[in-house]
Formats: sequence, structure tokens, C-alpha cells
Amino acid sequence: MNRHLLAIRHLERPEIEALLSLAADFRDRVEAGKTVDSGRGRTVGLLFFENSTRTRVSFEQAANYLGMRTVNFSGAGSSMRKGETLRDTILTLRYERLEALVMRHPSSGSVRLAADHFGGPVVSAGDGQHEHPTQALGDALTILERKGSLDGLVVAIVGDVAHSRVARSNAWLLSKMGAEVRFVGPRTLIPSHTGKLPGTVYYDLRAGVADADVVMCLRLQKERMEEATLASVGEYRRLYQVTRGVLRSAAPDVMVMHPGPLNRGVELDDGAADSPASAITDQITNGIYVRMAALHWVFDGAAKPAAGAKK
Amino acid sequence: MKTVLKNGRVLDPSQDLDFVGSVVLEDAQIVEIGEEVDASGADSVMDCSGLWIAPGLVDMHTHLREPGEEHRETIRTGTQAAAAGGFTNVCCMPNTSPPLDNPALVDFILDRSASPDAGGIFVAPVGALTVGQKGQQLSDLAALRKAGVVAASDEGGPIQDAHVMMRAMEYCLQLDLPIMAHCDDRSLSQHGSMNEGAMSAMLGVPGIPRTAEEVMVMRNCLLSLNTGCRVHILRVSTWGAVEMVRQAKYLGAPVTCEICPHHFTLTEDAVDEFDVRFKTTPPLRTKVDVEILLQALSDGTIDCIASDHSPYAPHEVNVPFDEAPFGMVGLESTVGATLRLTHNGVLSPLETVRKLSTAPAEILRLDAGTLKANATPVAQITVIDPNLEWTFDVNRTFSKGKNSPFDGTTFRGKAVLTYCGGEVYRDPLFDDARSHIALA
Repeated sequence: MNRHLLAIRHLERPEIEALLSLAADFRDRVEAGKTVDSGRGRTVGLLFFENSTRTRVSFEQAANYLGMRTVNFSGAGSSMRKGETLRDTILTLRYERLEALVMRHPSSGSVRLAADHFGGPVVSAGDGQHEHPTQALGDALTILERKGSLDGLVVAIVGDVAHSRVARSNAWLLSKMGAEVRFVGPRTLIPSHTGKLPGTVYYDLRAGVADADVVMCLRLQKERMEEATLASVGEYRRLYQVTRGVLRSAAPDVMVMHPGPLNRGVELDDGAADSPASAITDQITNGIYVRMAALHWVFDGAAKPAAGAKK
Repeated sequence: MKTVLKNGRVLDPSQDLDFVGSVVLEDAQIVEIGEEVDASGADSVMDCSGLWIAPGLVDMHTHLREPGEEHRETIRTGTQAAAAGGFTNVCCMPNTSPPLDNPALVDFILDRSASPDAGGIFVAPVGALTVGQKGQQLSDLAALRKAGVVAASDEGGPIQDAHVMMRAMEYCLQLDLPIMAHCDDRSLSQHGSMNEGAMSAMLGVPGIPRTAEEVMVMRNCLLSLNTGCRVHILRVSTWGAVEMVRQAKYLGAPVTCEICPHHFTLTEDAVDEFDVRFKTTPPLRTKVDVEILLQALSDGTIDCIASDHSPYAPHEVNVPFDEAPFGMVGLESTVGATLRLTHNGVLSPLETVRKLSTAPAEILRLDAGTLKANATPVAQITVIDPNLEWTFDVNRTFSKGKNSPFDGTTFRGKAVLTYCGGEVYRDPLFDDARSHIALA
């Protein structure tokens, strides 16, 4: 059986803890200038059917630190455009002797299909609107650095929850680790039935962030305005933009996060984005360490929890 | 040639008959049914004790895919699958390639289904309501009716424009041709792949709101009420849809509706892990819907059960969930899935047979659905073993389509003998010892 990292929903708390502690260990070693090199000789394919700069660079950096070689494929130049099915593309990569696959695809569930056919470990780099597990792991590592623990924290996830794989992965991870998750946004951007998602819904921003330890903003896609899900950017800004003023109702040591790319002045104003509360740049760097952990973990059937997940 | 089906439970909803007795066939016709029959001089006697003897089953909603989509199914494989599933009559839907919008294609289907290598059952084509099923210009429906279509439908691509649908109903009323309406407001459903609900929210799969179905059921019921055209609502799936049909019937609209086994058996929860076998339209709904749909089946609001047999080639379904086509095969699992309702007490044996045979035959005015002597062109009989336990295995089906949500499911109850003017299917599990007992 291959180990995959496809969705946080399927992980048990000890597995999440193992991944986070592995990531913390890699961070300490990389930042101390030590080599890690546990993946030397391995070749991993990066298969992106959606445009991505940040996540691909982050996985490449992670693979570099582990000593792995990477091979890049992008959706635009791929054989998919020539009529090949995803299954056949995955089989091709299997017989190109790639040992692991990092994949992003616009269809929810496609990473599961890839894992069923690839024959080696598959790591999700974004599964439609379903999950984005390494983003959630990086966010968790970032919160741990500042808060020491996830248990008992109140985390408000603000914005386009309905279409967000980041929101789903974070909700699962944080709730499994003992945090209270709130989904905050307009009715058109919150799923109409949230009974199978671990979080409570707030349509009012100030009520949703009240006493929150973490405020996590989601990226707002411009096409939401065209689909009649939102009135205008201006109206969204007035109702849901996280500002320094809004943060005054949160916990005094609240931290502010955003998975990027940030629409500055929409999801967050400058005051909140650049304040000491903002952890946005830490999220980027920690993304590398958790992706190292993910690539190491899928190859290492029994990941040994390294000591000291927390600083 | 005289054949006697002996000592079975004779179930004929067309005459409200439910008794233990026998059916006598002379050549290809039923000549007598009764508790005691004249079996003298019989060439063949089949002991049917413990079995149901029912009128041949009728599937109102089948996709035979021919012409144009023979990689999915052909008339030959589809009718063989139907015979194996206990059906002696199937209505084939017009969304072939090209669609069945002209009489020549109807002739083709009738010819092909009568050929010796087909399943030996009757095929009743459903004509396209509009040219090319584009929802704009009406097909030559009078010519189609003359060629033999039993209903008109735009099936999977339902007419969105209410004005076109109203005119279609007026026209079909004049022709006394029922319209089969798949109810789906595309502006609401177009981005979705599964029921909009807790499961779609969890999986991040764009949802199809129940309103997409209900708003069209309501529209079509009102148009039926106001035009007087007979309308058959295809595959209802929500409690709201059946409540609309109930109301329309109460108001006197000539409306009927069907349900498919997957809609009364499965819910959206089956889609977990993005299993494409559970993708269909309308989508699998919720437990509450299933409960109310079962009540509506039991109280008669839902008139009949249809398979919506929708075969696809394996390569078409081995794709990400949102790219996969909607639909599942059903001809060979419908009896098994429906008999669960009998065992659960939702339907009596007589009502079970009514939903699968007499009711669809009456809705479409087919010469079928009855065991009356000489009432149908040839005898159509399905013998069902209600207690036979068997496991549905797509690798052992006649259909080319293997996209079944019931693969691996163990059912209790199966059609073991299908007779349509002659024996067209005999199940290997049908105990040979009980058949062809020579008269001593």
C-alpha cells in the first residue's frame, strides 16, 4: 500500500502531529544550515493542471532541500489538450519511472483518481474545491509557532468558503487538533448545508471574529461577481474586509493569515496585512517545511514523530 | 404446442388477481389462467411453486444508444439485458446520435429490435419532441406517431423555454401522444455534478439544487393542467417533486410519474470518495427524500418504477467526477432492487408487479401488462423468484455498460424466466428440476 497525502479529512490526529513535528524538525535543520537529504536519488513529478506559481515553487524548494529531483508538467502543454484522459496521463508518468507525484487539478476528487492509478505516492497540491492539505499543514505550523498549541483556539475563516479547498483542509485540521472553527462570509459564499463540515457559520464579520485567536482570510476570485454571488468588490469590502478596526473585537494577540495571492485592499486592508499580527510571510516559508514533511512522509511508511513540534 | 406454468403465485394487476394457480399457453398465446386449469395434452409443464407468474415487465425508460453510440450499448445487447432483467417491453429514449426525430430512425429501431439476434422482446421507441432535441422546433410528431413512437421526449436535454413546451403539449394533445418530461432547469443545474447538500459541501463538488428539478416539475404540471396534455414526469428524486405531482393529480392534471431504483435505494452519501458510479441526473438525494419517495410509491402518487438504464463505455466513466457523464445501468438490477421494497413491506407483491408492468403499460397504452387471454400480440410473462438470493456482478451482465451503483450488491428476488411469445431468457439459477416436468 502506498501512502498518499490527499485530504486532511482522512488523517487521524497522530498523523497530523507526526507531519507537523516532522516539518518543525526540517525547519530547525534547514534554518540551522544543516542538510536534510533524506530523499536523495528520488524523482518526483510536479503535475499542475491549474496555474500555480507559489505552490509549485514551494514544492520544488521542498524537494530541493530533501535532495530529490523534480520533473515539471503543466496542464497547458500537456497531452490532456490532445485528448488524453487523466488516467492515461497518470499511467504515462508511472511508466516514466517517476516515484512520486505532486498534483493539482481543477476537478474535486481527481487526486484520488490519480492515486488509484499511479502506483506510487501522490501528494495533493490542490484538489479542485475539495482540499489543499499542505496549505493547511503550513498554516498549522505557522499558528503553532505563535500560539504554541492549536487546542482550544478560536479560528475564524473569512470569505469564499464555498469554493475554497484551503478552507476545507484548514477546518478539518484545526478541528481535529482541538480548535474551534468558524466560517464567516455572505450566504452566497458559505455552503448552504454545512452539516458535514467541522465549523459553525457566521454571516456577520464582527460576530465571527469576536474573541478569535486567528483570523484566516480566503482569496476572493473575481469571477464571483460575474456569477451573481456578490454585488461588488466595494460591497464585499464594506461587509467582510478584515481591517485593524475589525480586529479590535478579536483576541488581543490575534494573528491574521491569508493563503495568497492577496487582493490587497479587498480581503485585508494595509493596516491588517502589514501589522505585527500578520503571519502571511511566515505561512509562505512554513509551506516549504510542511511540503518537505509531506514528501518525506509519503515515502516513509512509518514516519517517526521527531521531538519538538513547537518552538 | 401447449405449455403450462403450474402452481405459481399468479399476479395480474390489470385484473386485480393474486392467487396460486396456473397459466396455460397455446403456441405463443395465453389461453387460460386459473386456480385449476386444463393441463391435459400439455407438451411442457413448468412447476412454478414458490414463484410469481406476472405479466411481462415494462421498462418505460431505457437508453439503447443505437444509432450512433454503439460503444455504449446496441439494440442487441440492450434488449438481451432487458430480457435477462425480466422485461418484455422497453421504451428506448430518443437521445441517440442522431436523435430519433424522424420516422426513418424509428423504422430502423423497430427493424433492428425485431431481428433474430436481438433479445426477442418488444421495443417501443420514444420520439424526440423537438428537432435535434434542441428545444426549438417541434419534430414531425404526427409522422413519428404513425411510425410507432409511443411518447415524445427531449429526455436529457429538456425544453427550457416554457412557451415551446406549452406549444409542444398542445400539439401532442391533438395527437394523443404523451410527453415524457425530464425536469431540470439548466440555469440552476448547469454547474453541478451532485445533489447540493452537506455531502457536496464537504467534497467541494458543485451542487445541483433540488429547486432545479422542482421548479420544472411544477412548470410541466401546470402546463399539463392547463393544456390537458398527458405528461409523464421522468425519474422524480425529491420530496418536493412528488408533492407537486400529488397536487397536480389532485387538481386533475393528466400527470404520471416514475422513480428509478437508485433514487429510492441510495443517497448522496454514496458519492463519498468521488465514486463516479453514483453520478446521475437528477442526482442521488437525501435520506428524507428517500423516505417520502417510498411513501409516495406506496400511496400511488408515484405510478411506476423505471430503470433509466444509461450505459457508458468504461473509458467514459474512468475520469474525474465532474467530467463524468450522468447515468447508470439498470435493466438487470431493477427487479432485485425493487423486490427489496416488497420484502420491506413498502409494496405488496401485486403492487410491485403493477409498478413494473401494468402501470407503465397503461400510461403508454402498450399491449402489455396483463395476463388476460389473447390480450397482447403474443404472451408476455415474467416469472420471478421472490426469494432467490443473488449477487449482482457487472462482469456477468448482458449490457455493455458496467457503470452500476449496485455492482457487488446482494439482492433477494430475481426474474428467472422471461417469456415473450417464446422463452427469451432463462436464468441459470432457475432450478431445472422444477421445469419441463414431463406429464406422467
